[in-house]
Amino acid sequence: MAKQKVQFPNPKFWKAKDNINWKKQGENLKEVVGIFGDMLKETDWKDVGKAFVDGIKADGERIKGEYADFMALDNKEKWDRVVNGERSLGRLYRKGAMATVRREWRGVKDTAYDFWEWARMWGMLLATFSKDLIPAMNSALWYRWMISYFCCHGFMDKNIMGLRGSNLRMSHEVTYQIFRYVAENLVFLSKADRKNGNSDELNKMLFTFDEMTMGQIAAGFPDLLSIPHQLLPMFLVSEIDQLVCIPYIDAVESYGLPSDTCPVPSSECGALVINALPDMGSCFISSSMPCDGSTMASSYFARRFPDIPVFHLCFPVRYLDDENTIQMGAEDIRACIKFIEEKTGAKWSWEHYFECMKRFNQETDLELQKWEINKSAYPQFIGPSYELFRKWNYEMDGGIDPRVLPSMQKVNKMLMKAYENKETAWPARKMRYRGIVWSCPAHYYANFSNWLANCWGIDILVEMESLNFTKHLETEDKEEALRDLARLYERMVMRRHTNGGYQNVVDECWRQVEAWNAPLVIMYQNVACKNMATVQGLLDEQGRQRGYDLIWVEHDLMDPRTVSRRTMRDKVNEYMRTVKQAEPVDPSLVEFEDEVCM
Amino acid sequence: MKDLKHLIYFERLLENADNELVEKAKADGGVCLGYTCFHIPEVLLNVGNCFSTRLRAPNTGSIDIATYYMSNYTCEFARALLERAIEGGYQYLDALIGVDACSMMNRSMEHFEILKVNEKPNFFVTHCDMPFKITDYTVEGYVRQMRVHVLDRLHETFGVDVSDEAIRKAVEEHNEVCRIMTEISEMRKADNPVITGYEFHVLNLVTYTCPKALILPYLRETLEELKKRKPDKKSPFRARVAIVGSEIDDHNLTKLIEGCGALVVSDRYCFGSKPGREVIELNDEEDVLTQICRHYMEVSECARYISDEKVMQRRETADRLAKEFKAEGIIYEQMKYCDYWGFERALVSHIMHDEYGWPVLSIDRLYNNGNSGQLRTRVQAFVESLEIKRIHKEEGIK
Repeated sequence: MAKQKVQFPNPKFWKAKDNINWKKQGENLKEVVGIFGDMLKETDWKDVGKAFVDGIKADGERIKGEYADFMALDNKEKWDRVVNGERSLGRLYRKGAMATVRREWRGVKDTAYDFWEWARMWGMLLATFSKDLIPAMNSALWYRWMISYFCCHGFMDKNIMGLRGSNLRMSHEVTYQIFRYVAENLVFLSKADRKNGNSDELNKMLFTFDEMTMGQIAAGFPDLLSIPHQLLPMFLVSEIDQLVCIPYIDAVESYGLPSDTCPVPSSECGALVINALPDMGSCFISSSMPCDGSTMASSYFARRFPDIPVFHLCFPVRYLDDENTIQMGAEDIRACIKFIEEKTGAKWSWEHYFECMKRFNQETDLELQKWEINKSAYPQFIGPSYELFRKWNYEMDGGIDPRVLPSMQKVNKMLMKAYENKETAWPARKMRYRGIVWSCPAHYYANFSNWLANCWGIDILVEMESLNFTKHLETEDKEEALRDLARLYERMVMRRHTNGGYQNVVDECWRQVEAWNAPLVIMYQNVACKNMATVQGLLDEQGRQRGYDLIWVEHDLMDPRTVSRRTMRDKVNEYMRTVKQAEPVDPSLVEFEDEVCM
Repeated sequence: MKDLKHLIYFERLLENADNELVEKAKADGGVCLGYTCFHIPEVLLNVGNCFSTRLRAPNTGSIDIATYYMSNYTCEFARALLERAIEGGYQYLDALIGVDACSMMNRSMEHFEILKVNEKPNFFVTHCDMPFKITDYTVEGYVRQMRVHVLDRLHETFGVDVSDEAIRKAVEEHNEVCRIMTEISEMRKADNPVITGYEFHVLNLVTYTCPKALILPYLRETLEELKKRKPDKKSPFRARVAIVGSEIDDHNLTKLIEGCGALVVSDRYCFGSKPGREVIELNDEEDVLTQICRHYMEVSECARYISDEKVMQRRETADRLAKEFKAEGIIYEQMKYCDYWGFERALVSHIMHDEYGWPVLSIDRLYNNGNSGQLRTRVQAFVESLEIKRIHKEEGIK
């Protein structure tokens, strides 16, 4: 029997008819043109001309310098650069530039492969957006965050900087999965947005949920589309463009919100205050996760969209007391399912849910295999692409998209082969230090682990945010399945560690350091994360007692004005030079300018 | 007005967490239970030979050591408690009953455990899980938490009688305190009240921090005194305000506000009397613990409750209290670094102004503010704006 081709997402979502209010679009266009007009009027064209000329001059000098450096190499080194790629990645940055000055040379084979992936990604993006191009493009006239998605290739490039061989290939494969999800959901979001595509048909089939809520609950609703409401407008795009959240944070702080709150709910609330989130869906699932600030953002949502019914999905915080708390979580999921059924008219399908969770269990096994390899002396798949994929797969995909499992299987095949061949994750240089990352990383420096590896040879084997629930979810007994789903949600990214008691974040840190044999810990300090800030003394004290290298790196998650990328790097540079008395692997990466670089 | 007979004594009781009455109750064989959060039903900590004391850190100065442990971007109340604990200021406690409601307070209490700040062999810290909304299953969960983490622990550790009879007895005593405080509070509705906001704040704080049985005689006497008290012919205050927001255990903050000419007529904040001093009505049909838990969930005004009806309840309560107590404006306040009230204050201070029509002063503040010049200036300006509004109203100017 011929294998039936899986159709995902459901074709009826694409086919849902738009109902664009052209008058409204015209008014918006007029406003946008007015803004552009003002910007053009206020532009100092002399400055623009000068910047252009300076850019050309700088490029000329850079090319001259690169040529001179290359010619100064002996023949063996020249051959090495041609075959294995360049070594001085700091050259790719220039002061004042919003993107790297050129693409990286990775050697003949890997550059060709990289170009192929670049083209494949473009092909997928064009094919996806062309399915309903007008609302998708029109979003750029409604929301400034949408503009940042035009730089997604640059995001891919910075995440794979310095990568070669298998790690490069695996990174591209997983990035493709994420980008496809993003592209498809951007199109759906634009179609559904009542300001834009205004598809009533799609809105009836759509429920949205807080981006801090995991997506698995949607697995039981095959006829419905579910979109994490703020994920694409805020959360994910802040990893692509470090400056994107600033206007939203400023908006909500002007409104009266204290600046010490976490930038995730702050920027989401800011976007709500200035009406920069799409108005879509037939209902919304808010959440109490993972922290006090996120809990409170739901009242801002209800204020902006009073006509969208909200269900507050709230899980026990002291989840280690499973016996006394789990049933409350399970009952809340049951109530949430009922709410979605009532608001959409759809019916929960246990069959489909179990099918998806079986897939999710398989994906968890594949993830555990990656951990085993990365714990070994020859870690293979590390870096920002993997870190992002792990979070997305665990939190948003959750076994729902059938196209992801084959992709993960392909990656693990490459992984095992690379391990057998004893490849190094960053073939251009050897691993000097085994490290892990603790606490939440800065969104505006999503490729920090990449810089750590390229500059100092610190290989980040795993992030705290990747180390979540790995128990197989129940796929037969319905009551137990609800309890398991609650257990999973209780242990969502961040919440797994920052909630439920200090043991989950302090004791767990030392356990993981041992398990990964990684005595160097990049201890992120999100200055607004109260759950982590309140254990910093314990971590510092106990880490010192154990003799680990804890490098404390402050950041402000989505606001690079508080702690810049450069300041983050300086913390590591200082530690490596003074405490470890180390020399950088790539000195060109110790000091460079990327204040405005996406 | 003539000074209240016991006011200075009450003020003295508030100078130390481990005050004279706490010591007396302990000497009489009482088990002293510390707590900080309204989510823990106070009555459950007064069963059998137990007595509750809501923790404060009076006269807090440096909090450097707590800042090392908890960073400088976190709630000062939580840090002040930890600092005092490290200094040995809570050695008198027999147990600490904590809730995992706000993360910073929870972490503060975890440090009590980790740093072993209390050397008593039976001392324990317990952490209860708190629901975010009221449904049948969350009430059930809450009851279970109180049973397992509070009553069972007390019985197992100290042999406390936690029977229904003991709980009902504790409720009776609690209700007497509540009746007295409610009666006193009602006096604040008068145009020229016989009690100031500061005096009420002091009285209310001692009801939280002192053993009920020992403070009750003083409360009874004070109520009688107030019934006979004559107000000044002309009120010295220029405006009446209601306070809404997060934790205030510093009565000097009320003194500061009243020093600026604003009589505080309603205290809708954590550690205040609304909620906190409502009588608990028990029936004989339903399990007593369930009734108590539901009561606390329903009257709670904590910003942590995120369900729509609780969000609306908070706004309606603020509006209702301000009207009932004839306030002319509302002060929305938040302890600096408090996430729950940070978000709530920012949004609702706009809503109360735009939709409910209240003049609102929105402030974030430190744990101890008694001498804050900046805050004084803001309150003074608010009082002036209320006066101008009143004059305009009288003159018919829109």
